[in-house]
Amino acid sequence: MKITLSVNDDAYPLDVEPRRVLADALRDDCGLTGTHLGCEQGVCGACTVLVDGEAVRSCLMLAVQCDGVPIRTVEGLAGPGGEPHPLQRAFSAERGLQCGFCTPGFLMLAAGALERDPALGEEEVAALVGSNLCRCTGYEPIRRAITRAARDHQKGQDGRHLSA
Amino acid sequence: MVDRWLRREDERLLTGRGRFVADLRVPGCLDAVFVRSEVAHGTLREADCSAAREVPGVAGAWSAADLPDLPPMPDAPGVEGREWPALVKDRVRYPGEALAVVLGDDRYRAEDGAARVRVRVDPLPAVVTAEEAAGDEVRLFEGRSNVALRGEAGRPIGDEVWERAAVVVESRYRQQLLMPSPMECRTILCVPEGERLTVWSGHQAPHRLRHDLAGLLDRPEESIRVVVPDTGGAFGSKSAVFPEFIAVAWLAVRLGRPVRWVEDRRESLLVATRGRGQDQQVRLAADADGRLLAYELTVEADVGAYPHLGVAFPMQTAWMATGPYTTPEVHATVRSVLTNTMITYPYRGAGRPEATSPLERTMDVLAKRLDLDPADLRRRNLIPPDRFPYRTPTGRTYDSGDHPAALDLALRTLGYHGWRAEQARRRADPAALPVGIGLSCYVERSGGERGSVHDYVGVEAGEDGTVVARCGAASSGQSHATVFPALVAETLGVEPARVRLIEGDTDELPGGVGSFGSRSAQIDGAGLQHAATLLIEEARERAARMWDLPIEETAWSDGVVHPVRGTAAMGLSELVKRTGPLRIDERYEADMAFPFGAHAAVVEVDPDLGTVRVLQIVAVDDCGRALDPAVVRGQQFGSIVQGLGQALYEGVPFGDDGVPLLGYGLLDYLLPTYAEIPPIDLEETRTPTPRTPLGAKGAGESGCIGTPPAIVNAVADALRLDHPERLQMPLSPDVVWRAAA
Amino acid sequence: MKPAAFDYLAPRTVAEALDALAAGAQVLAGGQSLLLEMHLQRVHPDLVADINRIPGLDALTVSDGTLTVGALVRHRAFASPGAVPGPLGDLFGRAVGYIAHPPIRTRGTMAGSLAWAHPASEWCALAVALDAVVELRSTRGTREVPAGEYFRGPFQTAREPDELLTAVRYPLLAPDTGVAFTEHRRTGFSFAQVAVGAALTTRDGVITEARIGLANCADRPLRAHAAERALVGAEVSSWAFAAAGETAAEQDAAPVPEPYADVDYRRQVIAVLVARTLREAVPV
Ligand SMILES: Cc1cc2nc3c(=O)[nH]c(=O)nc-3n(C[C@H](O)[C@H](O)[C@H](O)COP(=O)(O)OP(=O)(O)OC[C@H]3O[C@@H](n4cnc5c(N)ncnc54)[C@H](O)[C@@H]3O)c2cc1C
Ligand code: FES
Ligand code: FES
Repeated sequence: MKITLSVNDDAYPLDVEPRRVLADALRDDCGLTGTHLGCEQGVCGACTVLVDGEAVRSCLMLAVQCDGVPIRTVEGLAGPGGEPHPLQRAFSAERGLQCGFCTPGFLMLAAGALERDPALGEEEVAALVGSNLCRCTGYEPIRRAITRAARDHQKGQDGRHLSA
Repeated sequence: MVDRWLRREDERLLTGRGRFVADLRVPGCLDAVFVRSEVAHGTLREADCSAAREVPGVAGAWSAADLPDLPPMPDAPGVEGREWPALVKDRVRYPGEALAVVLGDDRYRAEDGAARVRVRVDPLPAVVTAEEAAGDEVRLFEGRSNVALRGEAGRPIGDEVWERAAVVVESRYRQQLLMPSPMECRTILCVPEGERLTVWSGHQAPHRLRHDLAGLLDRPEESIRVVVPDTGGAFGSKSAVFPEFIAVAWLAVRLGRPVRWVEDRRESLLVATRGRGQDQQVRLAADADGRLLAYELTVEADVGAYPHLGVAFPMQTAWMATGPYTTPEVHATVRSVLTNTMITYPYRGAGRPEATSPLERTMDVLAKRLDLDPADLRRRNLIPPDRFPYRTPTGRTYDSGDHPAALDLALRTLGYHGWRAEQARRRADPAALPVGIGLSCYVERSGGERGSVHDYVGVEAGEDGTVVARCGAASSGQSHATVFPALVAETLGVEPARVRLIEGDTDELPGGVGSFGSRSAQIDGAGLQHAATLLIEEARERAARMWDLPIEETAWSDGVVHPVRGTAAMGLSELVKRTGPLRIDERYEADMAFPFGAHAAVVEVDPDLGTVRVLQIVAVDDCGRALDPAVVRGQQFGSIVQGLGQALYEGVPFGDDGVPLLGYGLLDYLLPTYAEIPPIDLEETRTPTPRTPLGAKGAGESGCIGTPPAIVNAVADALRLDHPERLQMPLSPDVVWRAAA
Repeated sequence: MKPAAFDYLAPRTVAEALDALAAGAQVLAGGQSLLLEMHLQRVHPDLVADINRIPGLDALTVSDGTLTVGALVRHRAFASPGAVPGPLGDLFGRAVGYIAHPPIRTRGTMAGSLAWAHPASEWCALAVALDAVVELRSTRGTREVPAGEYFRGPFQTAREPDELLTAVRYPLLAPDTGVAFTEHRRTGFSFAQVAVGAALTTRDGVITEARIGLANCADRPLRAHAAERALVGAEVSSWAFAAAGETAAEQDAAPVPEPYADVDYRRQVIAVLVARTLREAVPV
């Protein structure tokens, strides 16, 4: 089937089989390999991307379902000038990654949530961290990173607000 | 600008520019899929690939019969003669064993092909526990016993010792099978180019892989380049050559085309190497004052279907059986038994969790029998700091330690007395849920065994003022690219930014051993420090010659060599420009070291449901000098959570047919999620190893070793269990409920 | 773990969807079970009808005391307070947090859960407890099946392969109903070993109506009729709830053994959880 994936504001015209899952289309057809596959069963969340602003498991969606729908992956997380997203900075600062395999999934999950609600509360953060698997860090550093990013994000927004 | 990234690995991994094997783009690459046995044990009657070959996009499909020259797995020393074929020839010995391989243009096509391979396996009775298998009623290899190896450490203990003792505790424990479960499963990509074969693999020991592949493919080692790109965790499970690797490498060479295998999660839970898997029996004797007299450990190890490195691994448990105590007599015996399961292999801790757990659990039972506080009982028996180096009855010589300090710090951090008071309060209140406190003191061994406690290390100064560090380690998340350059920079007195690390590429290194057994900081770290020191000496010698001074008249500071008197000074770049390439290559060897520590856990148990809520974990770990304390804490934390997984959640249940009941993957094999993480307090003591100038010991495995028995002891304490045998890991709610009833 | 090949249709109307089903298509709703099963190669549809582009199926409406949940209402909808009025909304809100995790809840649908009929499904247990009615449509017509008759076994329902589950209807709960939902599972990711939803009404300390739904207590979702009967007319007391728990465990449930939960243990958990859920459900 002919579809166009719109990923990080770039258009990727593709001809894919209906069975092709979004994760494979992103990785192999768009060359965006930052999205990882850790289980292909919706559990680990390494494949999490934003589809129409919502964090979803890209292993449990078909590419053909996403024809024309805006998609964001970890490659599109940084700002237009390459300025790191507060989450990227916070993950490094809080040591929220070791091997980094699970990281893109956590980043996109948190990015989706932060965009929807910049004032993420403790419980929301806990639910987010509890949505994906990481075998290296023990999660606590990831929780700290998301909390820190939420704080920085808000500060940034408040800052903009003040200077405006 | 301030450095945005704390680790050098971070930028690429956080921006989607990490490169794991599955991410590499290679034109014309074929994906490999294996057709796997659905039975645990059986006779292969048919593996017909003809229909698969007709499937569009399938480049080829082969069973063992189609590939008579396909080499088998390399023989494991000491247990030769039981061949492990890369594809099953006539007998299936573990569920998931590969019956055929299909190559396709992509994974989808290859799976289409695999679905068309016709296989028929006549089932045989399967034995999946060491106990069943040891009887040899079902034999995995005709005419040969399933018992593949026997071993012992220490000397047998005389009857009179047990008779004389005031108390003797006997018990049995099961160290259940665990799946290491890195988030990235195993990977290999083989790219043949002319006479060369480049192998990309998320791997812990690239040189070992090259050596094994060279032997298997019957070609010179130099013709193979093994590169380890980003690796998504390993925990011991990525350090060998595997049957699938052989098939992939062999086909790549035969077809002259790149071939890749990316293990998926379903395969991984079936055929990735498993850890632990021991049935244990212990006897522990003490006098009336609680002084330990003797300890006996009998291990029946389930090592899986084929003799492999795992066969000898339970000896690690035997050698470490003494633990942190001055027990005068210790005897450990091991029987490694073949079973119809995938092989058992090192998993984070590898043999030491299996040694620590039975001893520490039995210590708590002993304390109860003697009516002693478990902390007191341990204190009475811990090896005092002035007895190091300490030679154990099981043949280890511990390098250094201060066990009482670690235990005291753990108790203080936990607020031990406060929790005991809370426990008493709850015991008096029938409506309150019971809490329990568990302790565990451990000794870990890091670095490796004699003969492998070495690695290649090198430091090279460039004309441009940069420094390249090289070592035989391979990182799978341990931050080598950050930590090692920082260490070399510190030794040389230069900016860390000037130093970069090369590892995990056999073309770039004259040799190497790898990263396993918590050896990288201890061996490679100490080695790099040593190499940097040699580089300084060489620089001083050259400068001395240039300046016509005796070497003692030269000095080194902040990356610059200068005469002791006078102002002339020369940086590394100028020195290289004037005197030519400056490069140190060393084979650095050190002895094994023994990290140690004390862990404590507090749990609350709901006896009606059997649920365990961990309220607090305290870990005091001593890894000597920590190269980068934050990295060490990261290792500690992650390792503790894996220990939590063993204690409460992870396990491999089998069906009657011997097939693991893990069909729903990670919905069946339960890794801890954030919802399960209790408050964890990390503390450390620092007792450097005297065996290297650096003083670092391994740090990565302590949590897997120390945490599980602390948690289990806490549950037993909450339930006031007299006998611990009813609590076998994982302490799933049904197990705890039964024990409480 | 890749799905086998299939043909794909994305109907724009229910009628088109029904034609596709008549032609043998399997429905793709949230895909959070279907695609998982296809990855595991347990399900191999030749034709998939993706209903996500049909307008109107995502409606969540209340009229005449009945809540109607369209086929595309995602799990997540029930997490927003006020999405469903009164105690029914409260009960759904309590249950939804146990279904997988947020990204799955963003896609997965309540109707899909009822169509899939996993024995551990929270929604399925509530559907039977709350006398839900399942609306099934095909090119042959429309029929309504009470939830109590709809579930036939593990992953088996009264739905014919060519029927689209278009809506689920629930009678609203009276405003003075007390509700609770509890779940016992091994980790944050696992399916329920046992889950219990309850709705209670009382007058002057006497129980006047009780609804108890049980997930993973048999090969299909159950309503604990015997326990409910024992409760109605009894005074609110821990003793009555404990007895109801025993009754549910012994008479209503028909536990199936699985690793880490054999039959005895399951019965124990059912007894304890039912009692606790009821206690929590007492209206204040
Ligand atoms: C990691 C993970 C954890 C999960 N945990 C839980 C859990 O704890 N509890 C729980 O209940 N569920 C759980 N689920 C399943 C999840 O809730 C699914 O969303 C749900 O089971 C099915 O809904 P769906 O909309 O995704 O259906 P789909 O996956 O699209 O479909 C499932 C099946 O139902 C059929 N179907 C769907 N909709 C209709 C319809 N309208 N008419 C006819 N047939 C239809 C499909 O053809 C298919 O056979 C989990 C899933 C995952 C991946
Ligand atoms: S790969 Fe999608 S959730 Fe694991
Ligand atoms: S950092 Fe390795 S899995 Fe999360």
